[in-house]
Amino acid sequence: MSIILQTKSGEFRIDAEDDSETLLFAGLKAGLTLPYECATGSCGTCRARVMRGDVNDAWPEAPGTRQLKRHKGDVLMCQTRARGECLIRVPAVVDRKSENAPRRITGKIDQLNRLNRDVMDFVVALEDESAFAAGQFMVVNVPGLAGGRAYSMVNYEPQTDRLRFVVKRKPGGGFSEWLFGEDATGTKISLFGPLGKATFQPATDGDLIFITGGSGIAGIMSILEHAVRSGHFSASRGQLFFGVRTLEDAFYVQELAALAERSNGALSVTLALSHEAAPSNTHPTSDLIQLSGGFVHDVAARSLATTAQSVSDEAIGFVAGPPAMVDGAIRVLLGDGNLPPDRIRYDKFS
Amino acid sequence: MSWIKVCKTTDVPENSLKKFWAAGGIPLIVARYADGYRAIPPVCPHMEEPLEESGVIAGCVLTCTKHLWAWNLATLEMQGETERALKTYEVKVEGDDVMAFVESELLYDFEEVDDMDDDDFFNS
Repeated sequence: MSIILQTKSGEFRIDAEDDSETLLFAGLKAGLTLPYECATGSCGTCRARVMRGDVNDAWPEAPGTRQLKRHKGDVLMCQTRARGECLIRVPAVVDRKSENAPRRITGKIDQLNRLNRDVMDFVVALEDESAFAAGQFMVVNVPGLAGGRAYSMVNYEPQTDRLRFVVKRKPGGGFSEWLFGEDATGTKISLFGPLGKATFQPATDGDLIFITGGSGIAGIMSILEHAVRSGHFSASRGQLFFGVRTLEDAFYVQELAALAERSNGALSVTLALSHEAAPSNTHPTSDLIQLSGGFVHDVAARSLATTAQSVSDEAIGFVAGPPAMVDGAIRVLLGDGNLPPDRIRYDKFS
Repeated sequence: MSWIKVCKTTDVPENSLKKFWAAGGIPLIVARYADGYRAIPPVCPHMEEPLEESGVIAGCVLTCTKHLWAWNLATLEMQGETERALKTYEVKVEGDDVMAFVESELLYDFEEVDDMDDDDFFNS
């Protein structure tokens, strides 16, 4: 079966060996730089038009379909599979690159850790090694659950057969309910990736400012690990603002304290507590973790207003979290952080 | 139509934007940056995000926080990954009044312009 993609930079033919991959994943696997952001139906970036052929749309009501012209055959490539030969138009400049194309990998859930009342992390032991950039994510599929979920890698190794992910329990969230509900150890799962452009670029990035909430910390843990390991904090500084509801909801506190310690004082970590006053200036278990009351973007704003002038010209802002927090954080980075929009990185999940 | 009084200069603090209804019920946004004012349609040309909610002005740059499309308000240059120019009404300040030259409502073509229909799809 072959799929022909007409793009603004020419025509590409992909030979999909089976019809189980979406148009997006089939194309990415073939090394095509197709446009996407969330890869899970929310953002609408992977819009394309079916010119000829039969396709199957797995999620016609996906939030990302809002802007589609259905009557003209528009689809989201991340939700659409070819049922036979087909011709697709992609309104973007597309290249083919041979290295590090995302791919499908399988693995087993190997280690589940309850981090607090509604956050867990787990390791997937991969069948073979995989490389990814710090800050990237995988789309995870579990047998019996429809659709893929995007999860950022928590760990960082240049090459690894173990990926760590963090999951926050969401009432009605199929994957998280399943993970919290039964012992999933040993379950075989399928992943596609690595995906995402909100990555750390050690050669060109300067000071790093992170504003995150809840499970958004995942990809930032990976970036911090890479930054510490590559000696980035010998010349640059880092400021992390991590929002949780209460002290009890915080997780990765010891891991963050260890990263701050390895940074030799260049990385400051502030836990912002949105639903209780900070009981002290620093965390009860580590004086390397500062505590502050308020929403994370307000806490970040207060701090950046006093330090923004000393932030380097190559400073990069990373944002990850729920949509309202992302919006607030971007405002803070543009305003109090004095960062231009092209130095703010986040994966656009809405 | 012609020059229309949109608001008082004090209605829009520096580095902020506000939506107004010009005569005839035309919605527009007055954006005030360090060097002056711009009058623009009320939505982001990317995905119709309402700019009175999603727009931020810092250092002469208007950014839509939704997907970080941004324009320099002084030069109207597009910043970063922005792919579409900002439309603007001519604007001037007379005394305490911000005036805009409104002939007809400026709209972005979210419907008609469809690059996938273009004959020159492969060349653009």
